[in-house]
Amino acid sequence: MSAIRVLAVARRIAQGFRRDERTLGLIFVVPIVVTALLGWVIRDQKDLMVQVVMVNEAGAPGQRIVDALTAATVGAPDGIEVIATAETADAARAALRDSNGDIAVILPSSLIDDTLAGRRPHLLVITPGTDPAQDGAALGALQGLMVTVAGQLGAASGGVAVIPVIDRETVFLSADADTLDVLAPVFLAYFGYFFVFMLTGISFLRERVGGTLERLLATPVSRAEIVLGYSLGFGFFATIQVIVLTLFILAGLDVPSIGPLPAFTIGLDVQSAGSPLIAFLIAVLLSLGSVNLGIFLSTFARTELQIIQFIPLVIVPQGLLGGIFWPVDRLPDVLQVVAHALPMTYAVDALKAVMLRGADLADATVRLDIFVLAGIAALFVVLAGATIKREVA
Amino acid sequence: MTAPAPAVQAVGLHKTFGSVQAVDGIDLTLAAGRIYGLLGPNGSGKTTFIRMLAGLARPTAGTARVLGTLVPNRSLLARIGYMPQAEAVYPELSVQENLAFFARLEGRTDRAAVDLVLDLVDLADRRETPAMHLSGGMRRRLSLACALIHEPAVLLLDEPTVGVDPALRAQFWAHFRRLAAGGTTILVASHVMDEADRCDELVFVRSGRVLARGTATEIRQRAGTADLEAAFLHHAGLDAEGRPLAGPLR
Repeated sequence: MSAIRVLAVARRIAQGFRRDERTLGLIFVVPIVVTALLGWVIRDQKDLMVQVVMVNEAGAPGQRIVDALTAATVGAPDGIEVIATAETADAARAALRDSNGDIAVILPSSLIDDTLAGRRPHLLVITPGTDPAQDGAALGALQGLMVTVAGQLGAASGGVAVIPVIDRETVFLSADADTLDVLAPVFLAYFGYFFVFMLTGISFLRERVGGTLERLLATPVSRAEIVLGYSLGFGFFATIQVIVLTLFILAGLDVPSIGPLPAFTIGLDVQSAGSPLIAFLIAVLLSLGSVNLGIFLSTFARTELQIIQFIPLVIVPQGLLGGIFWPVDRLPDVLQVVAHALPMTYAVDALKAVMLRGADLADATVRLDIFVLAGIAALFVVLAGATIKREVA
Repeated sequence: MTAPAPAVQAVGLHKTFGSVQAVDGIDLTLAAGRIYGLLGPNGSGKTTFIRMLAGLARPTAGTARVLGTLVPNRSLLARIGYMPQAEAVYPELSVQENLAFFARLEGRTDRAAVDLVLDLVDLADRRETPAMHLSGGMRRRLSLACALIHEPAVLLLDEPTVGVDPALRAQFWAHFRRLAAGGTTILVASHVMDEADRCDELVFVRSGRVLARGTATEIRQRAGTADLEAAFLHHAGLDAEGRPLAGPLR
């Protein structure tokens, strides 16, 4: 073992870094930028505002509770506010389905009888069911509010506060849906986008540095033909990838125990309320944008390592801001603007709408998301074409 | 009777990259059906000159016409064959797949064209081999085959015989001669002088300028030297050791 040779190798690496500003940036600047972004998202996130829809089926006593809850939440001092009352539970469900409220509380007609009989009354609480974490937070806020109001009502009537039993129901998915059911649409969008970007970026970089792109440009092929050919070629594989990923997410093929092998399930078997075909269309549109983003960004890389260096700048922010972990409308205002410039935001929004809420192309939001995704894909096609430098089109 | 139109005509051609003058006022006319050797050291502007003719770089000043058409012009590219210095082939594709790909881009779909160039570059028995498994010399041959696949009227070859064994090199030149006899104009860029005698005419370039032009014999005679390397040094104003003839050494 020669210390001189070991140090020579170490010195060679340091000398290489000295002339590779981008790698130095990756090591020192990018982690700070990404961590700062994460801190910004978490610390400056807007507080959860729970909007409650009340349904009173318990007559005048029930109305006293509704009035007390409404009065206690005017201006949402604790992040929860009664925003409306509905005539029936179905009307409340419809309100949640249309995103006009986060949680519905139904005071049943049995409320008074149960109370008089000394039983704990039952309340029906309905949540959208599309985000277990958000539903849980809304339920927690509601329980806190009810404890406060029950105390007030009990004190006013000289009685003892009664904390009701809460029965749960969800509008979308089932009440036992787990985090995986909610994250499945995100997997479809995010992983497809990520892998297609890497594949295309590295492949096109090879065209550029290997001389084959220049060789192509010495033939009558046009830049548009190259970009569309690439979109078609990689789009084909991206499509297959999306099909495989969609099937894996939705399928739940139970394989029985064979010999010493225990039983297992192939696929995630997640709940999907909507059309897999529309989900597939959305994921393919996102991937097409990713193909051309890869071509575009390959212009700014000289090595495959530099393509990988784009991940923290291109892929990670989409994960933080695209509505995957935190709803876009709770991000700080500035980051909401950024989020609305990212294709991931529209893909996640549309995929959640389709797979969790069962929306289809009749849904204006889904149509808008698809339209924007197609527009972004077209923009990336143009940008990709513009980066193929040639003296003739 | 009017003289036939030149295959290539460059007038006051300049190309600069930042502060670097890669091509510095080249005036050159190449007749159809002849083989020209563009000779000069690395960095003399040969590749930049060829890239401008191939439509890959726009002149900073001056004009160039190929087959009477001002370059760059995309439709003209179907009549130009270009072999770059780099082995610009797809390593994961087989020999035949590489050729078929470039043939399709050039609008040729007949298999006979592929077979013809495969025989020419002596790769017929390697047609199914991925390019990544070929030797460096074989990849150069494949690259040349890709440039020939569409039978271009003007062939621009940048260092075509580097790494090619002497026997095959002789076959290449025999084929170039046949192509020229059929009317193809061939411009071969090289930094070595040993193939110059095979060209009909030579163009010596240095620092982006034409130093001398003529047949190998004419150039030697004008320089009063026995070999082309010495003639090049003479035309470049250098002595036998590469030092400037006038003025003291610096």
